[in-house]
Amino acid sequence: MKQFGKRAALVALMAALAIGVAACGDDDDSSSDGGGDTASAGASLQSILDNGSFKCGTRDDLAGFAALDASGERAGFDTEYCRAIAAALFGDSEAVEFVDLQTADRFTALQSGEVDVLVRNTTWTGSRDGGEGANFLATTFYDGQGMLVSADSDFQSLKDMDGATICLTEGTTTQLNLEDAFTNAGVNVGEALPFADPELIQEAYNAGRCDGWTADRSALAGFRTNWPGGPENVRILDETFSKEPLGPAVSDGNDDLAQAVEWAVFATMQAEEFGITSANVDQIRDTSEDPNIRRFLGLEEEGGTFDPGLGLPADFNYQVIKQVGNYGEIFERNITPLGLERGVNALWTDGGLIYAPPYR
Amino acid sequence: MTAAQAPARARPPLWRDVRVLRVVGQAAALVVVGMLLAWLWSNLQNNVDSLGIPAPTDFSYLNQPVGQSIAGSDLRPTQSRLDALQVGLVRTIQIAIVGIILTTILGVLLGIARLSQNWLVATFARIYVELFRNTPPLVVIIFIYLGMFINGGFLPRVGDAVEIPNLLAADIRGISVLWVSFTDSPWPYLLVLVGAIAVGWGVVRWRNHVQDAQGKPTYPMLSGLVVFLAMAIVGWLALGGPTELSAPSVAENGRVTGGNKLTPEYAALLIGLVLYTASHVAEITRASIQAVARGQDEAAKALGLSAGQRLRKVILPQALRVAIPPLSNQYLNLTKNSSLAVAIAYVEMTRVTSDLVANGAPAFQAFLLLAFLYLLISLATALITNFINGRLAIPGR
Repeated sequence: MKQFGKRAALVALMAALAIGVAACGDDDDSSSDGGGDTASAGASLQSILDNGSFKCGTRDDLAGFAALDASGERAGFDTEYCRAIAAALFGDSEAVEFVDLQTADRFTALQSGEVDVLVRNTTWTGSRDGGEGANFLATTFYDGQGMLVSADSDFQSLKDMDGATICLTEGTTTQLNLEDAFTNAGVNVGEALPFADPELIQEAYNAGRCDGWTADRSALAGFRTNWPGGPENVRILDETFSKEPLGPAVSDGNDDLAQAVEWAVFATMQAEEFGITSANVDQIRDTSEDPNIRRFLGLEEEGGTFDPGLGLPADFNYQVIKQVGNYGEIFERNITPLGLERGVNALWTDGGLIYAPPYR
Repeated sequence: MTAAQAPARARPPLWRDVRVLRVVGQAAALVVVGMLLAWLWSNLQNNVDSLGIPAPTDFSYLNQPVGQSIAGSDLRPTQSRLDALQVGLVRTIQIAIVGIILTTILGVLLGIARLSQNWLVATFARIYVELFRNTPPLVVIIFIYLGMFINGGFLPRVGDAVEIPNLLAADIRGISVLWVSFTDSPWPYLLVLVGAIAVGWGVVRWRNHVQDAQGKPTYPMLSGLVVFLAMAIVGWLALGGPTELSAPSVAENGRVTGGNKLTPEYAALLIGLVLYTASHVAEITRASIQAVARGQDEAAKALGLSAGQRLRKVILPQALRVAIPPLSNQYLNLTKNSSLAVAIAYVEMTRVTSDLVANGAPAFQAFLLLAFLYLLISLATALITNFINGRLAIPGR
């Protein structure tokens, strides 16, 4: 009987496990359904406007993009875009509630409505636009995989790196991109060492274990800024060998919010193209005769103020520029200190990819 | 009395009959477990269907190109994922075999040292055991990697390689030594070596037998070694010298080429695993020696055997019987802990699998296969230790 008692306990345990597993399974089901079928999980534009603030999914640990500055304030490129969206929606760049998300949780948070907008250096890919139920909007930063080498090394391009030892972080497509890039350059990877975390790579790199360190250029720039002994010890090669467009995303089916967020982003780009900065926007508003600029800043014209029907206040472009700044200002404040050039992130008029549709 | 017992022997009702309850209980448990498994399986299939990923029985992903190389192997990106997994499997087995041998030697020595009459030796062994037994193996491995190799300072930077011409070249990328490789298929000569080991072992046993029968020293190990070496040399000459030497050298760009390279990652993993597991083996050895009845040692002493002879011929053979089952546990632990290599960039089976999954291989199949491979290695280890255990067990018990 004692034996049977044990067995009964075992069966009970199994049953408990089964229930636990069932619960997990159900969770998975609902989230995958949520991705595909649900019309909209996030709050609509109207309910966000009524609420008076919106929830921006971000992080606090990536220098230059979203981190805490010396005084403990949130700073960074992505952080400022959260503020720009708040300025467009409410005319108040402080009307934003930041929610820190882990990489693995970010799409779940978006789908479940935990955040309204995701601005967390997230790469726009087909499967994320599709299967993950996210709706990616205008790209704010064109990133790509790059290579960090010692400043005093002879490496000028990947072609010089035949047989080199390359350190990288495990678990993503980084190594695949690396091997493809080397093959295209007509050289071979000597050794590719996949480490579990960047701290170990930095130790190994400094000891001379590897010739190069490959990761997203923006991440490399961040590592370079904080390099032991100073950023001048290392440099980043010009080649970029993968496409990583980063930008804000909202959940699928939330078209009004998507348009509003997208045009808040375009406001920063158009402002730079017009040469309007947070410093001169008041002056330009008072003096400009250019109908394009007057329309853009929401000034009275014959027939009233221009309203494109985006559900945003008439002066949202002005508020974004006045309270946050144009694209170039945001870039210079956050990305330039990392030692990154504008590169492909220059305005289209300067040969870059930053381009806003006409506001009319 | 007999009259009173008779009704008690009559069968109790079914729901109180222990024999019936046992069968019913087992059957019920079986049904529950079976249903649970069936439900899990159908759940998996449904989810996989709805996500549009390959069915859980589809292993065709293994035939696709792997797209990446593995540091220190000849694998090219165009080879299949199966080839990559094979490289990982061989490396895991290699770590397991080398690690088990080194762990056993170090652990047994430490275990004996713990029982030493010498205070210094015993205390050192004790501190060692307490230190490593109470530290997570991952910490030990990373500590060895960073503290000993990367920041240890004894390996020079690339371009400043320490070199003993044609014999050894060492820098931070690894220690390359002169190495023998086969010009052609290695199998014929390996067969010769296996034969030489078998014959040499036969000679050892035969000389041992003569020694026991005649009571005079016949140097069995030495004779066996001589026979083995003679056969190995004759076989090498007969096959026309099937090997060639690969010597390390420093190229113009400062990199070391040729020879066999021991990388810091492999060395750190191996040393870390050996140091950690040896602390457990030492405790097993100590306990097993203490489990041998004291009278055995006293009797051997009375026969006039020296301390070394007593340990070798009387105590250890008996201690081994106690030690083998827990030892095999530690061997399995070492094998499984080798997956901690993921932290320090040594690519083995687990690392290959997680890379495959990161690059689009179906996670369920890939990890199922990984679990199955670890199971195979574990079963093989258990099979060998069980065989040894069977040979050593006292007959008739």
